[in-house]
Formats: sequence, C-alpha cells, structure tokens
Amino acid sequence: MNNPYLPYPVRIAEIRVETEDKNLRTFKFEFLNPEDEEKFAYLPGQFAELSVPGQGEIPIGIASSPSEKGFVLFTVNRVGQVSSYMHNMKAGDIMGIRGPLGHPYPLDKLKGRNLVIIAGGFAVTTLRSTITYLLQPEIRPEYGKITFIYGARTPGLLLYKDEWMAWEKRDDIDVFVTIDREVPNWGYKVGFVPSVTKEVCPPPDNTSALICGPPIMIKFTQPVLEEAGYQPENIIMSLENRMKCGLGICGRCNVGPEYVCKDGPVFTLAQLNRLPKEY
Amino acid sequence: MSEYIIKQSALADFFKSLANGRRLLSPQGVGDKCKLEETAPEKVSLDFTNTHMSPKSLLFPQTERLMAFHNEHDKPNGYVFQSALDSGEPTVVFGIRPCDARGLSIANKVFQNDRFTDPYWKGKFDRTVFIGLACDAPLPQCFCAAMGGSPFGESGLDVLAFRQTDGLGFKALTDKGTELLKAAGATEADLAGEIKSLEAKAIESQGVKPNYQPIDNLDLMDLFKDPHWEATAENCLNCGVCTFFCPTCHCFDIQDENSERGGVRMRNWDTCMSWLFTVHGTGHNPRPTKTERVRQRFMHKLKYIPLKQDGVRGCTGCGRCVVMCPVNIDIRSVALKMAQTAPTPA
Repeated sequence: MNNPYLPYPVRIAEIRVETEDKNLRTFKFEFLNPEDEEKFAYLPGQFAELSVPGQGEIPIGIASSPSEKGFVLFTVNRVGQVSSYMHNMKAGDIMGIRGPLGHPYPLDKLKGRNLVIIAGGFAVTTLRSTITYLLQPEIRPEYGKITFIYGARTPGLLLYKDEWMAWEKRDDIDVFVTIDREVPNWGYKVGFVPSVTKEVCPPPDNTSALICGPPIMIKFTQPVLEEAGYQPENIIMSLENRMKCGLGICGRCNVGPEYVCKDGPVFTLAQLNRLPKEY
Repeated sequence: MSEYIIKQSALADFFKSLANGRRLLSPQGVGDKCKLEETAPEKVSLDFTNTHMSPKSLLFPQTERLMAFHNEHDKPNGYVFQSALDSGEPTVVFGIRPCDARGLSIANKVFQNDRFTDPYWKGKFDRTVFIGLACDAPLPQCFCAAMGGSPFGESGLDVLAFRQTDGLGFKALTDKGTELLKAAGATEADLAGEIKSLEAKAIESQGVKPNYQPIDNLDLMDLFKDPHWEATAENCLNCGVCTFFCPTCHCFDIQDENSERGGVRMRNWDTCMSWLFTVHGTGHNPRPTKTERVRQRFMHKLKYIPLKQDGVRGCTGCGRCVVMCPVNIDIRSVALKMAQTAPTPA
C-alpha cells in the first residue's frame, strides 16, 4: 500500500544563501532513487513536507518548476526547530521530502488569459515556480500578457536575483521589482507592493491575478485589485496554516470545512469570502 | 441481507467460532473500567452499558509509531525512514455500540478521504469485523437519535446484534458479516418486524428529541459569526477531554523521537483545544483564544463535517463529552444555541 507519510529520501545537492540577513536559504535536492522523482510529479503552487529524520517536518512551497529536471528547489526561512536545523545542514546530507501536496495554481484553466503575478517577501517561491514554468517556449504562447510585481523590504531581501533580472530583459514578461524605501544605486521601483500594483496592474479584462505574500501585503493589495475592477473569482491566492500530515487528516489547518493542505493551499478570493478568516 | 438467530444455548459456540483464527475483542469490566479487550470466548458478556473510552484507539492508537531510521552513515539507508506499518491480526469486535460504530465510519471518511488513504488506519480497518450490540436501554446521557443515529443504527457495522428472550438476533449488513454468521451456524429468521418495534421503543426511551435541523440549513458564516460563542466558551478550560473521548475526533500531532542509534516518528492524539495546535512559526495564531477554539470544535462536529459528508453530523450522541466535561459544557445545548442563530437577511 502506498504510504503518503513516508518521505522520499533526498540528498542536499547545494545550499544557496538567498538574503543578506542569511535567514533564507535555497536547498537543491536530488532524489536518492531516480524513480521517486517521477512519483513526485508536481505543478506550480504545490508544496511538500521537508522531513528531517529526528527533527520533524515543515510544509514548504515548491520553488522549482516541473520543467526543471533532476532536482527540486525549496527556499526555507529560519523560524523553528526544523528550519533552524536545516540551516545548519550541508551539501551531501540525507533527508526526506514527501509530496507533492495540495492543489497547484489553476494554470490549465487560465490558458488564453493575461496574468498579473504579485509576490511579497519570501512568499515568491511558488510564483518563481509558476513564472519559470510559464516562460518555457512551448508554454508561453498559451497565455496572454504576463506582469510580475515583486516587493521586499530591502534589495538584500529579494530572492532569485539572477532570475528576475534575466526575466526583466525579456519582452514577453513585464517585471516590476520594488523595495520599501529608497537606497543608493537602486535602479528599480520604490514603494509598497499595493501602491506599485495600483500604478502598473493591467486592466481586469481577461486577466487573472495570482497573489502570494505576507498577510499585510495581501490585505492592502486585495482592495487595489478590486478597485481596478478585478472580480473575486479572478483573484487567486495561496494560504498558509500550521500543518502536520498534509493529507487532510490531522485536523489543524482547516479554514471552515476546507483543509488548506488538501483542499488548498490555492483558493480564489470568491471562495475565501465565503469562509471564516482562520488563517 | 437477512436476519439470523442464535439461541442462548448455542451462544458459547458462536463466540468460539468468532474467535476461530481471529482476535476477539469485547467490552470487559464495568463503569469507567469498561473497555474493549481481547476476550476468551467464554468470557464475552452482554452485561455492559458502553466502554468508557470510544473504540477509536483500535484503529487509531493514542500513540503510534509510523516509521523509524538509523543514523549510521556507513551502513545502507542511514537517515532514511523505513515504514513501521503494522496492521495487526485479523480481529472481530463483538459488542461495539451503534453510536461508536457510526463514529468510526465518520472518521473512516477522513482517514480515507477524497485524495489520500491513511495506510495505518486502513490496514487495521480492513482486518476488523464489527458486530454491534443494539442498545435496548440507552443511558440518560445518550442522544444518538437526536443526532440522526439510532440505538439500532447500522452505520459502520458488519452485523447488528440484539438481545432476544432466548439468545441473540442478528442482522447481517455486509458480506463479511453474512459469512461470519453462516460459519457460526446461525439460523436464518425473519426479524424485521421485531427489530423495528424494539428500535422504536429504544428511541422513545431517549425522550423528546431536540430539533437541530435548522443548523443544516443555516449559512456557515452566520453560524460562525453568531455572538453566542463567547458566552458558550466562557467556562471552557480547554482541557481537551471532550476530544480524547469523542469517537469522531481524529486530530493528531506528529513528533520525532531520537535515540543514540537513530529515531522514530510517532503520531499522538492532539486536540483543537490547544493554543499550540494552530500557532504559526511567526507567532501568528488563527485561533488565538478559547472562543475560537471552542467554536471550531462545535462547528466542526455540527457544520463542517455535515458539509463534507452528505449531511451526516460529526456527533453521534454517545454522550461521553457531556459526562466527562469538568465544567458541564453540553453539546446538546450548544447545538440548540446554534440552531437558534438568526440568518443574515438575503
């Protein structure tokens, strides 16, 4: 019988420090058993439990794209027991990952539409996956205009710098990167994500928004989009709650009758408007 | 499926036949010592009210080893978890009450949900045959009928047994149950009428049924936002005893334990009454006070589960939480308060 609690063993292939405060590291994992990589077939927006034997598990969004073969990427913030332990692990160490869990962003249903992708802080992970996926030459023509808005407090807290800088040079995606306050030699936008969104977000016709960020960013970006005419059905968000099993059984991540792990983490604003705000 | 009888004089042989090649469990002991235990066929008793704890630990132990690893780098599979799945021996449970069987069938839809199957639960579930014993004299705290069940309820059972003047009557409910009865030499009989009248009598003995129906039709957010929750939660100590005794509460925690040579991953019953249950790594807590946590428990039983399980409530009316609660919070009065929620005008 398939055991969804049992992690696939992985080796840490590489660890990259992402931010100037060193609190965020990106882990590149390779599966010990190549057949496990096939079993781990995922789509952008899904997450996995990172499993450190003897320490525990943490649910983390998948930062790599299914188009990137041979490895999976996760960017981990140092917060609690497991993530702190992981920050002291090194390349070559063995741990586990289990998943993929949750539902992906509904990209198949968004074909032919324009997308505005809004990220705040380190919640950009699953949206990095999404953009990398969308920019594949055979996928990109299936979607309309793509706008990417990404903000962090300071330049040193922005993740995946090489990547968004490369995206910026392309003509098939509009990239707007912003920081909270002006700093010397900063050549991009300054201001909070909601105000940048107000300035650059495309008209709502045939457009869907994907948002992932801290609660405060979501709280103030949502009204900007609604004011711009976006319908709640077309505002797609990803939630987080404390989790253990990731399978809709252990009971703690529910928002009303829905489990964030099994029924989410991706919900439309229309769905969330009908649910308690227990997240 | 059909009905069968076994006369008093043949009951000893019936229980022997049940235990043939299986572990036989039945309620043993009295009062708060009554629990499901491995039973020798001659020790099976029909003289009990109900087990102190619900039978859920049979399929979902209070603490259970999920997997283990060793930490020797130079040997194969260092730091790689190996499953500790152990489904145990084939088991027959005799004497589970209909409320508890219904509880297991509700939990079963969580452990085997629309996307995932919990192999630790399923292994034990598939190896167990459940023979329920109908309640001809429900206890004062029982309210299964008000919650949509019955003292002669069939949900979650393979066989429903009930007392007759001479021996036991049976209603086979699954193929597994029919096989078991046939193998035990039970005689076929038409008992439909008898069951119906006994059931009516047992339901009547539970008194007037309060009407919880309005909850089913009320909007989730109206129920959630009703101002009564603060008062409802006021006495609660968040001790969690209701959740541990509840036959449908299925929440658990997963924890790793280390030893010199490696470690194990365990799961343990957890409770939504705990602050720690939902707190985020950032310190943010979506259910920060007992008001949100008490509301969660009752909304889960009486609204969320029915929404996900075709209207079946997550409370079976077994009455354990009512008896055990140290501050006398009674799910029946909470359900009535919920039923009186004023809907938001459309």
